[in-house]
Amino acid sequence: MNGAGAPAGAEPLFLPSPRGPLFALYYAPADGQACRRALLYVHPFGEEMNKSRRMAALGARRLAASGVAVLQLDLHGCGDSAGEFADARWDGWLDDLALGCAWLQERCGVAPGLWGLRLGALLALDYARSKPQPLPGLLLWQPVVSGASWLTQFLRLRSAGDMLRGDRAQGTQALRASLLDGEALEIGGYTLHPQLAAAIDSADASTMAPKGRVDWFEIDPPGRTPSPARERITAVWRAAGAHATLHAVTGPAFWASQEIAECPALLDATVARLEAAHG
Amino acid sequence: MYLDDTRQIVTDTLMLGPRGDALTADSPLLGAIPELDSMAVVSLLGALEDRFGFVVDDDEISAGTFETLGSLAAFVAGKLA
Repeated sequence: MNGAGAPAGAEPLFLPSPRGPLFALYYAPADGQACRRALLYVHPFGEEMNKSRRMAALGARRLAASGVAVLQLDLHGCGDSAGEFADARWDGWLDDLALGCAWLQERCGVAPGLWGLRLGALLALDYARSKPQPLPGLLLWQPVVSGASWLTQFLRLRSAGDMLRGDRAQGTQALRASLLDGEALEIGGYTLHPQLAAAIDSADASTMAPKGRVDWFEIDPPGRTPSPARERITAVWRAAGAHATLHAVTGPAFWASQEIAECPALLDATVARLEAAHG
Repeated sequence: MYLDDTRQIVTDTLMLGPRGDALTADSPLLGAIPELDSMAVVSLLGALEDRFGFVVDDDEISAGTFETLGSLAAFVAGKLA
């Protein structure tokens, strides 16, 4: 897809994995700065991954300019990595994150944190939870907090497509039932395996309190009242010992917008937060 | 009743700009606004759920829901009634 032309400042590479090579882009800290911090980027899924490529690249460049090394890894079955989406599994993706973290640690000499967007943020939370030690930082952009809601939205794509074509639409409940029966579903060009669907369906951010520091950025359109769900979940996390901070910025929903959109306020707030936190 | 809110959400979600401001209750949506594809329908439903705090079941919606801005606003009103 985008593999031929790497974005400016990025070094394309392949990480070997037992399931085939994983495509990645490495953004070294700019101007030969020593690598003080490193982040592994965890992309969102389906069409959201494509819509957010630009913001991910802009974010990586800004972070690299401020001295943070960034690795953007295409997970198995996604982007330019090996495998089809139908082969992708949640646990396999967690293994991919471990490979990405190990590569960054080797390359930069510092333990990396994770930077996740949407469902990628939920995957990052699940990964962080599985580690005995807190990660050096968890940066969440508009995290999906309920895998079940995300799955419903994804299934709805298929219902909506049927509806627009004038076909009798199968409701998301019927589609969910097919998945639970073990049937893979093709939705918007992605074949969703029942095991992946089941793992996403049961992923719930409120039960994934991270151990260390977490910065949660929410992007709202102008004039929108913040959703109470994020306050509730960060309160639960804090009670469990996490150092969780919510940051609200105004901008477009670039991961889902009709045209490729940018959210400069999010880039500014993210870099400012990391610089304030680490000096 | 919820026409202004609905217009705002349609305009923001589909990024219609000034075209959105011109929408009236009788303005056709489905088939008339090229941006309204299946992904946009899903985004639109998600934005309405977020904004108004209701949950939409699939059997509540049909192509008729998205026929005009007025039919969509009426759907919102029905959910909140």
